[in-house]
Amino acid sequence: MTKDIIAFWGYPHPNLINKTKLEYPNATWVDLDICFNYPSSKFTPDAYCGIIKNIFDNAFYLKNRIIKILAAVGKDKCDSGFFAANLLKNEGFEVEISFFEDTVPLNQLNDVPICKSSLPLKEKLSLITANIVEQKDYSHLERSNARFGFWGVPPNDLNICDLFPPQTHVFGWSRCVEAKNPANFELEMYVETDLPTVFFAQTFCSKTALAKYLADKYNGLYIDVDAIPTNSAYAKIEAFLRLR
Amino acid sequence: MNKSKFYIDAGTTWSKILEITPLNERKYSIYPTSEARKFDIKYEKMTGHTSDKNSALYVNEVVALAMGAKAHLENNFIALDLGSRDIKWIKYKNSKFSDMDWNSSCAAATGATIEMLLKFYDVKVEDLEFCEEKYPVTCGIFGLEKIMDDVSKGLAPKIAISKFIHGIAYNAYNFTKNPEKICISGGFCENKCFIDSLQKYCEVLPLGRFVLVDGLALRP
Repeated sequence: MTKDIIAFWGYPHPNLINKTKLEYPNATWVDLDICFNYPSSKFTPDAYCGIIKNIFDNAFYLKNRIIKILAAVGKDKCDSGFFAANLLKNEGFEVEISFFEDTVPLNQLNDVPICKSSLPLKEKLSLITANIVEQKDYSHLERSNARFGFWGVPPNDLNICDLFPPQTHVFGWSRCVEAKNPANFELEMYVETDLPTVFFAQTFCSKTALAKYLADKYNGLYIDVDAIPTNSAYAKIEAFLRLR
Repeated sequence: MNKSKFYIDAGTTWSKILEITPLNERKYSIYPTSEARKFDIKYEKMTGHTSDKNSALYVNEVVALAMGAKAHLENNFIALDLGSRDIKWIKYKNSKFSDMDWNSSCAAATGATIEMLLKFYDVKVEDLEFCEEKYPVTCGIFGLEKIMDDVSKGLAPKIAISKFIHGIAYNAYNFTKNPEKICISGGFCENKCFIDSLQKYCEVLPLGRFVLVDGLALRP
């Protein structure tokens, strides 16, 4: 089988993305963070971050097609990203590691038109992650008046986003990605104080500590979800959006 | 001619129905959910685990609890609904929503378990009395194991079940983040052993079994 895929996770450094685009102009880019419902690789313990499980499941399923993996391993991703890069290298994948830890002061950052737009939340998060590779300009998007906030990484199961109205602004790591500053902790911790916000993290991810801390501090709703949201998670978000 | 309006809280085991007549009389009734399913009634609003969550008439259970409890209570309160298979609570501070939680995943240590234990050991709920000791029921399965072990050693089943209920009350107190006062909604309002157990930890105000249907009737 011909190898035709450049795989990546997190937000590889733009210089690495651009260099790889020039090197493989016809390659298909696949974000391994995303759940494509490929068979389980059973590579990790059951109790493990759903996003990192996706990386292994996707990588092993697509192994014969993957040219190389651009692996985010710095503070812009997590320790599990570092471990995954090395384990996949041991399993015969060509892995190029990436640190994207450059940070810019908040007042000098790029604007985040997708996060502030009136697009449905699912579309916002999908555009933000797609734009890691596409690098399109979304400055034309109309800004919405925020009614709610969503803080966190794009969930493994994006269907949970359907509960939120389009006037939901995006914060946390997803906002950092749109601002091209995935390791900017100050931006990751930024929220609008009076905006009712759902603080989301994947179960077994260390960002659960940030989500819980911020939810307590700003009277928001803390939610952690593993692979598929439970009825409790759906119901809590629904009630929070209705009552706040 | 005006007709009565009906609201239903269709729980896992019991369905609570509120009828508001054209003369604005309120009639409350309770049926086993298996029986209530057969009724040919057009409801204005519905809530509860067995109601159709995709229906336009469905109201989220925490929202129904919040609306119903607000009608009964002052500006600051915590209302806890302990049902057959789930536990949920809501906190209002200065008349505004402040906090909540809902665990619908673990049904091990809630109303249905108690009903099963009472039937299994042939004990009447009114025979249960507050017991100073409690079983740890963070996991209901381990709690059940404790009951069976102790009964096999000669402990009276009603004492063992009371210790289990005390464990549930203690869990409820911790789940609601250890408040000074809890307002209770649901079938446990009628369980004196549970109320007495919870009173060991905080002030308790039972609101009855119809808080959620009252909330439905209030909600526009």
